[in-house]
Amino acid sequence: MRHITKGFWLVGIAALIAAPLVIHNSYYLHLMVAIAILSILTLGLDVVFGYTGEVSIGHASLLGIGAYSAGVLVFLFNLGFWYALPLGLVMGGVFGLILALPALRVTGPYLAMVTLAFGTIIQILINEMVFLTHGPQGITLYTPLLVNLTEVMSWLPSSWSESLPSVKRIKEIQFFYLVAVALVFTIWVINRILRSRFGRAFEALRDSPIASDCMGVSVYRHKVLAFVISAVFAGFAGVLFAYSEQYIAPNNFSFELSILLLLAVAIGGRKSRVGPILGATIIVFLPNLLADIVLFRIVAGVIAAIALVWFIQSLVKRSESIRQRILPIILCLGFFGFSLWLKQITDFKLAIFGVMILFVVYYLPDGIVGFFRHFMPKPKPEQRHNSVAAKNHAAGFWNNPIKSANPEILRVKGLKKHFGGIRALDGIDLVVQSGTIHGLIGPNGSGKSTLMNLLTGIYNPTEGQIELDGQSLAGLNSSQIALKGVARTFQNLQLFNELSLTENIMVGLNHSYRSGFLATAFALPQARREEAAARQKSLEILHFVGLADQGDELAKNLPYGKQRLLEIGRALALSPTLLLLDEPAAGLTAPDIVELMAIIRKIRDHGITVILIEHHMDVVMGICDSVTVFDFGQKIAEGLPSAIQKDAKVISAYLGQSAT
Amino acid sequence: MSILFQLIFSGISVGMIYGVIAFGYQLTFATSKTLNFGQGEALALGALVGLTAINFIFGTIWGTYIGVGWSYLLMIPLVLVFGFLQGTVVERLGVRQAITIKSEAGWIMSTIALGIIFKNLAENIWGRDGLKFPSPLPEAAMTVNLGFAEFRVQPMELAIIFGALAIMLAVEFFNRKTVFGKAVIATANDREAAGLMGINTTRVISFSYALSSLTAAFAGVLVAPITLTGATMGVVLGLKAFAVAIIGGLSSGMGVVVGGLILGITETLTGYYISSGYRDVPGLILLLLVLAIKPSGLFGRATIKKL
Repeated sequence: MRHITKGFWLVGIAALIAAPLVIHNSYYLHLMVAIAILSILTLGLDVVFGYTGEVSIGHASLLGIGAYSAGVLVFLFNLGFWYALPLGLVMGGVFGLILALPALRVTGPYLAMVTLAFGTIIQILINEMVFLTHGPQGITLYTPLLVNLTEVMSWLPSSWSESLPSVKRIKEIQFFYLVAVALVFTIWVINRILRSRFGRAFEALRDSPIASDCMGVSVYRHKVLAFVISAVFAGFAGVLFAYSEQYIAPNNFSFELSILLLLAVAIGGRKSRVGPILGATIIVFLPNLLADIVLFRIVAGVIAAIALVWFIQSLVKRSESIRQRILPIILCLGFFGFSLWLKQITDFKLAIFGVMILFVVYYLPDGIVGFFRHFMPKPKPEQRHNSVAAKNHAAGFWNNPIKSANPEILRVKGLKKHFGGIRALDGIDLVVQSGTIHGLIGPNGSGKSTLMNLLTGIYNPTEGQIELDGQSLAGLNSSQIALKGVARTFQNLQLFNELSLTENIMVGLNHSYRSGFLATAFALPQARREEAAARQKSLEILHFVGLADQGDELAKNLPYGKQRLLEIGRALALSPTLLLLDEPAAGLTAPDIVELMAIIRKIRDHGITVILIEHHMDVVMGICDSVTVFDFGQKIAEGLPSAIQKDAKVISAYLGQSAT
Repeated sequence: MSILFQLIFSGISVGMIYGVIAFGYQLTFATSKTLNFGQGEALALGALVGLTAINFIFGTIWGTYIGVGWSYLLMIPLVLVFGFLQGTVVERLGVRQAITIKSEAGWIMSTIALGIIFKNLAENIWGRDGLKFPSPLPEAAMTVNLGFAEFRVQPMELAIIFGALAIMLAVEFFNRKTVFGKAVIATANDREAAGLMGINTTRVISFSYALSSLTAAFAGVLVAPITLTGATMGVVLGLKAFAVAIIGGLSSGMGVVVGGLILGITETLTGYYISSGYRDVPGLILLLLVLAIKPSGLFGRATIKKL
């Protein structure tokens, strides 16, 4: 599979190199340049739209920011392409940051709303700030002549230099190659980013934002990062766009273009490299398509034919999805009929565009690439990693267990959490001794999970202090607390379902990387070494929880009991000093529970303090060094497991007061 | 001094329009965590249907007898019914399926697409030029004397303020006092629990979209007499209402009125004292500032995450 993709890309690059030698018509060459430039933009947009799932309706404006960086440099300072390029990247990034920092603080449609407003404002500003942008009249630029071939060739015999094509043609070809290099570079960098810890983080935060934060992978920071990456590429594309079109005006960067760009990513196929490029190709040809009624009828006919084949296939296979396929096939045929009925197209251009978007949203959610992927045989997961090697190094990640010097790792004083009138926790004092397994028990609703959420920063306490290893945790958010060495599992599993087991653990290992973003994007040696080390370590952890032979499986495919173990493994990846387990035995079979108890003991023996919430009394009594009992948000008993079992208050809390 | 009062007054009337549209965003956001990105088109359609209706009513034999004012009042129920239906269509085609896929991208793109389609259809039906909407009230400005300052007021601007408040109060009253309204509030609080209690949450969401478009259509006929009516009249209004909804808080009823007033007044002041070209800029800056300082909006409450 890998070889096929590699071969595919090599063919693509060869085609790019050959294109200007074959295509002599400068209109077609220009179309290819336009496709490549928009591809750079849509590839970047896919990082936000496809991977983090946020919607940006302002990418046309970010393209405009890049283009006007180039334009203003020419207009005011007469500075050319090589000055514009870095400025365009920086300006794209800066505006991306200004938008993303506030808009991504809350989940919801805020980014879409903010970027939409931004798009309008930018158009107004470009129109109004005539001193800077030349206003509605726009700016004219000239495609740069990168290398003056006639000068280079001047020492050659004159017959040679006479056979050279015209300067205009040389410019076109040079610019084509420049854009081609830019496109290949973009694909390469985006591939590096998405296959690195950043790409894993983008996917993880979509699967479970809470778990990401609790693994020290800040959802907010990574979403902002994703948006800034895409904004930088938009700025990059903008500079190239300005020099390719040779004229820019405010209405080049309209709301419609932003929607078109989203459509490009969606129709081509999200979360792939081919998809956005395919999408860019489609939207470059779309205006032509929607201007020519004959062409439009042909395309509508082809789509209807494909849909018909697809429908017949499901009839032949007698697959269950027949009923779901009836509506789209009727729509496709109806669309073809509509195209035949239509006398002229220009008045209904936008409505057709809207119908296309609706169709893609409902019937092509994975885009064209996703549609054809259904027909391809599923690639077998490659066994890239040698699990035997992992076995030999299984003890590796225990090499230096973090032992706290402080005998009391956790001190909680007067902790209160009120939800309106409900006192979920009402003044809790708790001390957890370093290197022990500390059980928390109590009836449902007694405040155990609330305490967990307070300890990991998911809730802010109404009152009271939490000290980890002598340091207050007040004011820290979940990911900061995680990086201080508090790891947790969840009562309702919060795995990164779309990632493999190995990758799940590697998200937890995010804190172990020292190399920065740029080092990762350009695959510098340090970043590669760290990636390899993390992969190795994740195998060791998988081995420890007994899942080493399924490392390449997706987390969602794992049976329930194994998923609980994977969550513990992921928490261990954080190298915690304190591990919080929220009902780890819930729903496990008896043999699984025995295995789980052994694992928890081993974790404790390596110096990690464990706080265990559990309803299985045999587990609690079997492995806990001390136990605290909660009822109605208050602590009612504390001590050795054996003492707790006999405590009258505890018995009455669980079984009710005796009648006598 | 009097110019300042005049600016503030027209700021208030513009702001109330923003407020009503933003109120519509809140209605659907509360029940379904989605909103209609084509709300501006719902407003424009409402105004255009209103225009056709009022011309029809005024054109009948009774028209000259009852006058423009009564024709306007008779037209309003028709527009409300139209808005109601338009909202159900948006929910059915643009939102219902997207909610089940649980994809943020889905409903944003499909409501935008529906907005584009509606705008294009409106252009084909009513043409691309702005049309004059007959004003139900005299267009001559009247002079208001506050003792220390004198300024001029268009009667329609006053009508906008009262009309906007009336529709918001009516919807609030409906939500608080009727059984069906209680179902809306229950769905807003916890969709799953409401569903388990036997509330048809799908229908509630559909209804909230209907109400949302109804208020937008009403806002359309309110604002139409003081602007030109056309397919594109709603685009900027819908966008400003985004800013208002975020500034006031997507989850706070009171917030949109205050948010609308803040934005409306800032805009008219910027337009007069700085430059009319820049009047739309402070909205975005305010929007970003509010998100940076208090993301849940000036009057919104932060939601509690549940695990």
